[in-house]
Amino acid sequence: MAPNPFKITLLISILSIAITLTLIWGTAQTAPNLIRYSTLSNAPYIKVESINVTSNGVYIRLAIINNGALAFTPTSGWVKVVETGQVVNVTIINGAVIARPPLTPQWVNLASVGVKGIVSGILNGSRAYIAFFDVAPIHIINTIGITNVSYADCVLNVTLSVNTVVPVVIGPIINMSLFTVSTPGYYVFETVGVVNTTVYAPAGSHNVTLTIRVSLALGRYTYVYSCNYLSGFSKYTLWLPIGVTYMYPTGNVTNYTLLTKTFIVGGGS
Amino acid sequence: MRVEALLQFALAIAFIVLWVFVPTWSLSGVNYSVSLMPWGFVVRFFSEIHVIPPPTVYAVWLFAIDAGLLPLVWRRSRYSLYLAALFSVLSLSMLMDTILFQQRYLQFHGYTIAPTLTGYIYVSLPTKPVLGLPTYVLLALTTLSIFNMATRARWLGAEAIEDPIVAVERVLKALHIEYSRIEGGVEVGGIKITRQGSSLRLVRGSEAIEVDLKTAIIETIKAGLKQPVSVGVVDYGED
Repeated sequence: MAPNPFKITLLISILSIAITLTLIWGTAQTAPNLIRYSTLSNAPYIKVESINVTSNGVYIRLAIINNGALAFTPTSGWVKVVETGQVVNVTIINGAVIARPPLTPQWVNLASVGVKGIVSGILNGSRAYIAFFDVAPIHIINTIGITNVSYADCVLNVTLSVNTVVPVVIGPIINMSLFTVSTPGYYVFETVGVVNTTVYAPAGSHNVTLTIRVSLALGRYTYVYSCNYLSGFSKYTLWLPIGVTYMYPTGNVTNYTLLTKTFIVGGGS
Repeated sequence: MRVEALLQFALAIAFIVLWVFVPTWSLSGVNYSVSLMPWGFVVRFFSEIHVIPPPTVYAVWLFAIDAGLLPLVWRRSRYSLYLAALFSVLSLSMLMDTILFQQRYLQFHGYTIAPTLTGYIYVSLPTKPVLGLPTYVLLALTTLSIFNMATRARWLGAEAIEDPIVAVERVLKALHIEYSRIEGGVEVGGIKITRQGSSLRLVRGSEAIEVDLKTAIIETIKAGLKQPVSVGVVDYGED
């Protein structure tokens, strides 16, 4: 006798619905063990690579450390210097992230600063933001160089380009000389000893001129071979060892530096 | 075997085969995506890939196979079509339940935050939910199985019979008349119906006459009713 199809259908229906209900309940029970949590490892981060304080402004260079397979490409962002309260946007120059807050008097007093900010960009094709806080030492960069030299009637004029964060006093000069660039070379003049000529330059970018009358009055060991450029020679080198006193708020610091300039009389190179 | 039932089976197989290659449902995104495959949720997070298998996902395709196979295996009663419709509805509801599993336990808000040496990184990971092609096939399967249930798998109408012998056999089967198949025709009681080209020949003892289909059916029924009636099988014939 064949079983009643209605009974079979009813039995299987009840059974299969019971199975589904059990599965739904079982899935809810096992869910906490089934799922797993994952977070980014070796995510890129930002460090302050260097802070250079120059007379033109402060250059904060940020380094993006990609220490995994994930590459971050910066597009924009901002930084805040905690000590000075300056907030500036960053600029991306050839992949380097640089912030340029203007130079304010506080910078001269600082040894290191805390920098915080956010840099946004693209991580593996997804928009990403990296927030950071880092403390980095400050490098104060002062540059002094010779831009122009002239010598006539025993008067030497030296134009100095001074880019400093603090006011400076340039001088004295020790053992300067002017000689021809030739073989053999000839001295125009030379001094042995200290020439106490000084010139003052305020903080920032300025040109100052040192004017020195080259004569025996400068000292006993002053040798003047000519009061003008030597005839037949156009290329000269000025050798100018000089002391520079930086007037930091915390005290004066004197450095000795050698300034040289090779030039051609009447221009050219 | 009815074409309607075969179609139902084909849809069930198409659903499962397609699903092996195309997710039924997914959250698609650049660095984060979730795909619902027959073996579970495949979660991709940057270079990491994890498979989360909620048990309900297996029920989806098991019920879909049942819904397609049952009308072919159990052909006696129309209850098999009812049961197949139930299985297809259960398959669909298990699929919905599995998708709800993601919403409940694998919910994702479109971003990730990770600590770094000097701070933290926030990565925006927007995703878009997408229903895959296999889901539409499953919907078609459910619709068809319900339709088959309502029409006893007869919505395509009468089958076109090109062979008159098959037509004769069909009538005999429906009337539960015992017959035997012979070379080129059927034999019922003392008569034989054979096919000769486009016409039928009726052979009774030594006489053989040419008959049309109507006469051939009537004659076989006459011959068949003289013999004891036995139980035959008619697809989905019973209530």
